[in-house]
Amino acid sequence: MGELASRGVLRAGLAGGVVAIYVALVGLYTRFADLELVGEQITLGRVMLLAPALAAGSVVTRPRTVGGERRPVASGPGLTIGILTGLVSGATFALAVAFADWFGVDRIREVFVQISEALIDFLTFGLGVPSGLLALIAVSVAGGAIGGFARTAPADLRKPAAVGILAVLLLGLLQRIVPIIFVELGFEADWLYSPVTGGLTWLGALLIFAASAAGSFLLTRDGGRASERMRAKVQKAPAAKVGLLVAILAAASILPLLLGTVISEVLGQVMIYVLLGLGLNIVVGYAGLLDLGYVAFFAFGAYTTGLLTGAFLNTTTGAAQPALSADINFYFAVCIVALLAAGVGVLIGAPVLRLRGDYLAIVTLGLGEIVSIITASKWAQPLIGGPQGMRGVTKAEIFGLNFQDNPQHFYYLALVFVLLALFVSRRLSASRVGRAWNAMREDEQVAEAMGVSTIKFKLLAFAMGGAIGSLGGALFAVSIGSLTPASFEILVSITALAVVILGGLGSLPGVVVGALVLIGLPGLLREFEEYRALIYGGALVAIMILRPQGLVPNIRRSRELEADEASQDAWAKAATGEAEAVAAVVPGGALGGEPEDLG
Amino acid sequence: MARGTKDRPTEERGAQLGRLEGLPWRKIILTVLAVFLVSILTIGAFKTLTLPADQRYSAAAWRDFIILGVAQGSIYALIALGYTLVYGILRMINFAHGEVFMFGAFAAFFFADAYAASGFLDSNPVASMAILLVVAMVTSIGVALLLERIAYRPLRNAPRLVPLITAIGASLFLQNTARGFFGAQLRGFPVPSALEGTWTIFGLELERVQVIVVVTVVVAVAGLSLFLARTRTGKSMRAVAADSEIASLMGIKVDRAIVTTFAIGGLLAGVAAVLYAITFQSVNFSMGFRPGIAAFTAAVLGGIGSISGAALGGVTLGLLQSLGPALILTGYEIPSPFQLKDAFTFLVLVMVLIFRPGGLLGSGEAEKV
Repeated sequence: MGELASRGVLRAGLAGGVVAIYVALVGLYTRFADLELVGEQITLGRVMLLAPALAAGSVVTRPRTVGGERRPVASGPGLTIGILTGLVSGATFALAVAFADWFGVDRIREVFVQISEALIDFLTFGLGVPSGLLALIAVSVAGGAIGGFARTAPADLRKPAAVGILAVLLLGLLQRIVPIIFVELGFEADWLYSPVTGGLTWLGALLIFAASAAGSFLLTRDGGRASERMRAKVQKAPAAKVGLLVAILAAASILPLLLGTVISEVLGQVMIYVLLGLGLNIVVGYAGLLDLGYVAFFAFGAYTTGLLTGAFLNTTTGAAQPALSADINFYFAVCIVALLAAGVGVLIGAPVLRLRGDYLAIVTLGLGEIVSIITASKWAQPLIGGPQGMRGVTKAEIFGLNFQDNPQHFYYLALVFVLLALFVSRRLSASRVGRAWNAMREDEQVAEAMGVSTIKFKLLAFAMGGAIGSLGGALFAVSIGSLTPASFEILVSITALAVVILGGLGSLPGVVVGALVLIGLPGLLREFEEYRALIYGGALVAIMILRPQGLVPNIRRSRELEADEASQDAWAKAATGEAEAVAAVVPGGALGGEPEDLG
Repeated sequence: MARGTKDRPTEERGAQLGRLEGLPWRKIILTVLAVFLVSILTIGAFKTLTLPADQRYSAAAWRDFIILGVAQGSIYALIALGYTLVYGILRMINFAHGEVFMFGAFAAFFFADAYAASGFLDSNPVASMAILLVVAMVTSIGVALLLERIAYRPLRNAPRLVPLITAIGASLFLQNTARGFFGAQLRGFPVPSALEGTWTIFGLELERVQVIVVVTVVVAVAGLSLFLARTRTGKSMRAVAADSEIASLMGIKVDRAIVTTFAIGGLLAGVAAVLYAITFQSVNFSMGFRPGIAAFTAAVLGGIGSISGAALGGVTLGLLQSLGPALILTGYEIPSPFQLKDAFTFLVLVMVLIFRPGGLLGSGEAEKV
C-alpha cells in the first residue's frame, strides 16, 4: 500500500466522517430517517449513513495518473483500502456522536437545532451509545468496502451491480408515482411496493435489481459495444429518431392521465421550469450571456398576465381594481405579454451591451433584485398589489378545460407552451442566428470581425430569452391564480440557472432532464422541500467542479470541448486531482470563457 | 491593487459600432438614460427640499441620516475589502463572501447569548466584545478558507464564468447550511448595556454603537493598508495581484498568497459581522445576502481592486442608502421610501457598471471583459 496510500486513506476517511457530521448537523438524517425505500430496514436516512463512507472509499481507490500513465488499483487491495477508509470515516463520525452524547444533546441543541435524542437514537440504531457506535462503524466499513470494491472490480461485474442498485434506489424514491401508474394500468402493485411502509418490498427490490443488472450486463457486455451500436443505429436512421421522438411525446401526453392530480401538479411545476430553462438557455447557453436576473421576466410575465386578464389587487379591506388593467382573453393576452417581454429584454439588454462575463452577470442580478424589491414595496401597491399581491388571475378556460383548478388540464397547457419553446429553440440553434450566437459566445471580437452584428444578436438573445421566460411567468400565474412577491425572489433565477447548468449549457434535452431532477424529484418527495435551496447550491458547485458540461451535454459543445481538449482538460483534471498545476488556459471553454484581460 | 487593463478607447469602439449599425446606438441609449436619471433625481431632490415646512425633514433628521449612513457605510467598507482583495488577486467575484460574514455573526451571537445569560456581557463589556470579535474572526476565516479550498481552488484556471457560478452555488449552499444548522428564525443579538445610549463628541450627540463602528473600521482599514504596504506577506500578495505568473517566477508562493488573501477577507468580514450585529441587534441565516451585495456594490463603486476605493465606496454607498430614499423618493410622495433602500443599492450598482465600470477611483473607461 505504501505511505501514499495510507495518507490517502486517512484523508478520505476523515473527509467522509466530516461529511457525515455535516449531514447530521444540517438535519438530513432526522428528516429522512423514516422514509422507507426497501422493506422496513433500508430507509433513505440509512442509505445516507452509508453514502459518505462509500464515496470516500470510491474516491481513494480511483485510478491515479503517475507520469502520464494511468494506474488503476487492483480489486483485492481496493477492497482493503475501502474497508480501512470506511473504518476511519466511521470512527470519526462515531467519536463525534459519542462526544455529543457525553456533552449533552440539549446543550448542543442551543447552537445546532437539529441535534436531538431521536437523532442519536437513529445513528446508534436504537442500541444506545457504546454498543450502537460499533454498529455505526460497521455500516461505515461496509460503505467503504462497497465504495472501494465498486471502483476497482472488473467492469463486467461493477457496472451491472451499480445500475441495479441505482435502479432500486430510484424506484424506491419514486414510491409515490410508480404504484399509481400500476393501479391506473390495472396491475397489482402490492407485490412491488409494500402498502405498509410505502417503500419497495424485498421481493420487488430483488426483482428490480436482477432485471436492471441483467439489462445493463447485456448492453455493456462487449465493452459497451452493444449500446454503442444501438446508439449509432438510432443516430443514422431518421426513422428511428422520429420514432423515438413520437414515443417520448406519447409518453409525455399520457403521463398526467396515469399519474393523477397530485403528481400532475408537480409535473406542471416542472414544465414551468422547463420553460424558464429554455428561455435562459438561449441567453446563457446559446449567446453566452450570464443572466442572473431572469426572475425579472418571470415576474413580468406573471403580473402582466394578471393585469391583462382582469385580476384584482389584494387589499386589507378586500379587493380593488389595479390602476391599469384590462380584461381580455388569456390566449390573446399571452401573445401581448411575450411581445412586451421581448421589448423589456431589449430595454434591459441595450445599456449593458458592452459588459461581458461576470460584470454582465452582476448587472442583471441587480436589475432582477430591483424588480423583486419594487414588486414587494408599498409603492407598487396601486399597480400590482405590492406586498399583498393580486388574486383572481384568469383560469384560461378553453374547450371546457380548467387550467387553474385541475392540474391535469394545466399540464397540457404547459406542454403546448414547452413544445412551442422547444421548437423555437431548436430551429434557432440550427439557423444563421444560432451560428451567430455560437460565434459570439466563442469569441466576440472575432465574431464582430467576421461581420456578425453582435449588438443585434445580443439584443435578439435577450428578447427571445425574455419572451420565453415571460411565458413561464404567465403559466405560473394561471396555475396558481394569485400572485405574491414571495414567488418572485432571486431563488427563481438561481433555480433556472441550476436547471440549465445541470442539464448542460446549450442542450435542449438537458433542460428537460435538469428540470425533472431539480424540480420533479424534490416535488415528489415533500421531505426534500426545505432542503431544496441547499441541494441547488450544492449541485451548482458540484457540477462546475466535476462535470461542467452537464448531464446531457450539447453535441456540438462536446465536439468543441474535444477539439479544445488541452484547455478543457487542464482544469477538469486539476479538479479531480489527476493532474495538478496545469496552467494553460485557451479560449473557448464550456461557458465561452474569454481569456483574461482581452482588450 | 488594480491590474492595468488594456483599454480600448470608447471613441474607437463607438465608431466601429457606428459603421456596423449606421448610428452609435449604445451612446444614444446611454445618453438618454443618463439625462432621464439625472432629471428624475434632481426633480425628486428639489421637490423634497421644497416641501411645506411641516412635512419637511428637520436639520437634525438630515444629520442623523448622514451619521447613520457613515456608520452603515463603514461596515460595508469592511466587507467590500474582502471582495476587492479577492478580485484583485484572482479576478473573481467571491459571491459567497456575504455568507462568510453571516457565519461570523452567528458565531458571535452564540457567545454573546451565553454571556448575556451569565451577566458577563454587562459586567465586562470590553473583554466580552473582544472575545466576540475573535470568535467571529476565527469562524469567518475558517469558512473563507474552506470555501477557497473546496469550491474555488479546483477551478483556478477555469473560464471566468465557471468560478462565478460556483460562487453563487456556494453562497446558496452556505446560506441554507446555516439555516439547517441554526434554524430559520431571527435571533435577537444582545448588546452590552455599556454600549447603549449616546456619547457627546465635539458637541454632537452620537450613538455609542455608531462611534465604535466607525472607529473600529478606521483602525481595521489602516491596519490592512500598513500590512499590505510594509510586511513581506503583504508585499507578496500585491505581487501576486499584479501578475501571478511573474510573482511565482520570483519565488513567491502563489497558493499561499491566495490563501492569505481569503483569510484576511474573512477576518475583516468577521469584524464587520460583530459590528453589524451590534448595530442591528439580530442575526438570521439570510443576513449575509443584502449586505454582501451592498458591499460588492461599494467595491465596484470605489473601483474594484483598490483598497482606498473600497473604503470610499462603502461610505458613499452608506450615505446614498440613508440619504437617497429620504432625499429623492419623499419628493415623489412614495409611501415608505426606505423599503426601496436596497433598490437604491442595486440601481447604483447597475449605473456604475454601465457608465463607469472602473469605479470612482478607476479610469472610468475600462472595458471590463
